Amino acid sequence: MKKIIKSVSHPKIFVYTVIWLMVLTVLGTLAQRNIGLYASQQKYFSSYITWLGDTIPAPGGRITMIIILVNLASMLFKHNIWKLKKAGIIIVHLGAVLLFIGAGVTAIFSSEGNMVIDEGAHSNYVDDYHSMELAIVNTSKENLDEYTVFDQPLLINGNRLSHESLDFVIEIIEYYNNCKVQRRTEPADIRYKGMMKNFDLVELNLEKENVQNRSGIVYKIENSDSTNDGVYGLILGQSVTQTATINNQNFEFLFRKKRTYLPFSIELLDFKKVLHAGTGIAKSYSSEINLIENGIPRRVLIQMNEPLRHRGYTFFQSSFIEAPEGEATVLAAVKNYGRLFPYISSIIMAVGLLLHLFINLPKLL
Amino acid sequence: MKFSFRFLMAFLLTLPMVNGKEFDERHFPIQEGGRIKPLDTFARNQLLAFYGKRSVKHEGLSAMDWIFNLILDPEKGQEVTKVFNIRSPEVVASLGLAWTNNDHKYVFNEVFSGLQAQFGLISEIHSRKDETRISFERQLLEIYFNATRFREIAYSLSCLVPAVSVNDPILIEKLNSIPGKRVSYAHLIKYIPLISEIYRNMMEKSEEEWSNTEKELIKILLELQKISSNETAQALKLIPPSHLDKTGTWLSPWELMDGRSHEPHQDKILIALEKYLAGRYEGDKDKMMSAIEDYRVGILSIPNAKPDMYLLKKETWVNEVNLFYTSVAFYLLAFILLGFSRMIQPKWLKIISYVSLILGLVYHTYGIYLRMVIMGRPPVSTLYESIIFVGFTVVVFAVVIEYLRRDGLGLFIGSVSGTILHYVSFGYAADGDTLGMLVAVLNSNFWLATHVTTITLGYGASLVAGFVGHLYLIQAIREPHNSSSLKDIHKNLFGITLIALFLALFGTILGGIWADQSWGRFWGWDPKENGALLIVLWQLMMVHMRLTGLAKPAGFALGMIMNNIVVVIAWFGVNLLNVGLHSYGFTSGVALNLALFAALELITGFGTYYWAQSRKERLIV
Repeated sequence: MKKIIKSVSHPKIFVYTVIWLMVLTVLGTLAQRNIGLYASQQKYFSSYITWLGDTIPAPGGRITMIIILVNLASMLFKHNIWKLKKAGIIIVHLGAVLLFIGAGVTAIFSSEGNMVIDEGAHSNYVDDYHSMELAIVNTSKENLDEYTVFDQPLLINGNRLSHESLDFVIEIIEYYNNCKVQRRTEPADIRYKGMMKNFDLVELNLEKENVQNRSGIVYKIENSDSTNDGVYGLILGQSVTQTATINNQNFEFLFRKKRTYLPFSIELLDFKKVLHAGTGIAKSYSSEINLIENGIPRRVLIQMNEPLRHRGYTFFQSSFIEAPEGEATVLAAVKNYGRLFPYISSIIMAVGLLLHLFINLPKLL
Repeated sequence: MKFSFRFLMAFLLTLPMVNGKEFDERHFPIQEGGRIKPLDTFARNQLLAFYGKRSVKHEGLSAMDWIFNLILDPEKGQEVTKVFNIRSPEVVASLGLAWTNNDHKYVFNEVFSGLQAQFGLISEIHSRKDETRISFERQLLEIYFNATRFREIAYSLSCLVPAVSVNDPILIEKLNSIPGKRVSYAHLIKYIPLISEIYRNMMEKSEEEWSNTEKELIKILLELQKISSNETAQALKLIPPSHLDKTGTWLSPWELMDGRSHEPHQDKILIALEKYLAGRYEGDKDKMMSAIEDYRVGILSIPNAKPDMYLLKKETWVNEVNLFYTSVAFYLLAFILLGFSRMIQPKWLKIISYVSLILGLVYHTYGIYLRMVIMGRPPVSTLYESIIFVGFTVVVFAVVIEYLRRDGLGLFIGSVSGTILHYVSFGYAADGDTLGMLVAVLNSNFWLATHVTTITLGYGASLVAGFVGHLYLIQAIREPHNSSSLKDIHKNLFGITLIALFLALFGTILGGIWADQSWGRFWGWDPKENGALLIVLWQLMMVHMRLTGLAKPAGFALGMIMNNIVVVIAWFGVNLLNVGLHSYGFTSGVALNLALFAALELITGFGTYYWAQSRKERLIV
């Protein structure tokens, strides 16, 4: 056991993994110029294995950081380390272990998205930045709309989707991460329905900024009836809703950013943009909102560097939309169970380093 | 040491006395770039953009003299004064000018006619995005904008300049003017309603029947019409807003000439300015003095958001004395004295060198402090300020090192890097106003004070470590057998590295926390974040390599020299990528300097490392 700990905790392992982490950092930074932040982050840092030049497999950011974490943590089990003289060092390493654990929690459990709210309107859901969903709404029930939602992991080419609330089966034919609508030059096959009768979806190369990508989906409805069975297409931000009447039930088909509903809603009272006097440089942005929970509103001012924290969610002033019909605020919403880790670990590490400096500095000067 | 300390105290006490000046025209508040600044700063910044310097050197004109000369006589200012400094031969050629002109300085009119000939090209460049423009196109466009602004400045007070002479006795009386003296547009349009009767009478007669009075009136009206063609020249925002205004946007005199009603404070300032210009035009010192006093009263009568007189004077004083130039002079002196003390060995030279370094640091600190007072924000918020602050950090470290070691090591580090960093900052200052406003996300004094200051201190400490690394290797070459001295330097190097690591690590984590507060994520692999991370990782690697014996002291020294490259890339290189949330300003031309610096460090670092190794081997043999 001692032997294992000794070899696992050897600082040389740390040195070599840190060198590799630096290589990844440099590559991941340079890559942002070409493929954008999101893609580069996915490729180098949020991956277990990264493919160098798309051919050679190498440890990705996650594996590298797990090795460092194991190396650091096992170091705390060494016997000869627990000495007063090394108290500072132990504390620093403990803080670092916490930092990495926090990073792990964040990487796995955090979710982020945004809310777009017009002035005077309110919203109770968050749009995911990256994930999509296919929602099928049964609008023929009295008093309520029945939603059946398929998340992005299910939207894979060839996947067949069915649910007890639906009398029909959906088969995903094509999922595009980025595509555009193109008018057909010749009449389409009879199989094509809805928008696909006159238009087609054409796949595009991925944009650098992930938000500029427009996802699209081509799917087939089966086992309904002869008028509705066929191939349909949907694209993100489509202006005309795709509807169908199947077995006397009215359905709407929505392809949109994955929504997470909140146990409260937010009403935008006023969005303000203040400029430095006589210039076009923004001095501050702020949204005056009502946080409505159980029907009771509470006034909150969200501004740069002053987010609203509520029920594990944090809402930040992220952007805004100025249109002739009015202003809208864009709030970034984040739920991160790991967000306290860096705060705690930074305090621990600072204390440890200071302690170490105090113990050893006289010797070093 | 005692001697220098007493000297220092005496010096510090005299500092506040040098800057309690009376209010004068340099202090006239003007709004530009989102803040109220003294006219002196405004004039200097404009001149810097046109001419490349803060005063017209070849004619011995100060920025204030230049701007008032231009305003009082725009024709002459455009025809005679050579203030357009064009350094690019391509641009000069495209404007149809001669490169033979030795200092490449041109007058407005020749530049302007060149620009007019190129108008098609310029509007084509203007229509494109900045990334697609080549260097020549950027420069041409910049000169076009400069020329436009120059013209605007030249005429933006033309409504207040004494320009029209009234000679007819009747008109003199009606228009409330003095025989033989010119009056301004603003003055005349106030009294024009009083002569509407004369005008109406005149219109009923034919031109031959006009009296002398009427003939002169027509002449005056034509002149006024000509002057009013400048009403779009609104570059000088000298007039405070109405008390009802909520945006805080100041106005130019021409904006008040559109017939709107003036508020008392606006009127006072307008009239005082008019009087000052008249006094200056007539060379009447007393009139200028009394106008300045009126101006001061006018400013004091501003109902809300009154500009701070103390700060206006302070900033003007800072422009004047340029504390950082004095500071660099002391650093240079410290270096020279240190050199002499090495050659001829007397101890007192070294003490004076130390005092000189400390004096330089005092000026340096005072300069940083005054910038903080003027802007009301922590020391570092722009790249320029980070350079000054890193220089400050390095010298502070050097002073402490010298105090502890007393062998000239600290003096060498402080004087050399203090000087170099000052010169780098002068290069940045030459780009324009260094006291700019900040974009919304940076507008947080708390985080600027904690994260940015800590990380900048970290840069400074890292550079000191790199410097000591160089000195270690040099010492290893000079005296490879002197192991106690080498051990000593190594210990210092390791200690400084730990401090640098602490600052860099803590600064980076604070940055993460700020990012968590304002963008909702602690870490986003943004280039600037990655740059800071690289510094931390590199230093962690070096510390662990040393602890495991993977690196010997000499190797550690080399590693910390290489750390300088990492620091400089993280510091300046990120903006070159031009991606990410942190790239607030694109700096061109930096790439070459970065590459040169990296090459220099690589060559000297590895060169001295292997040389030191071979010296050691020879000793063992």
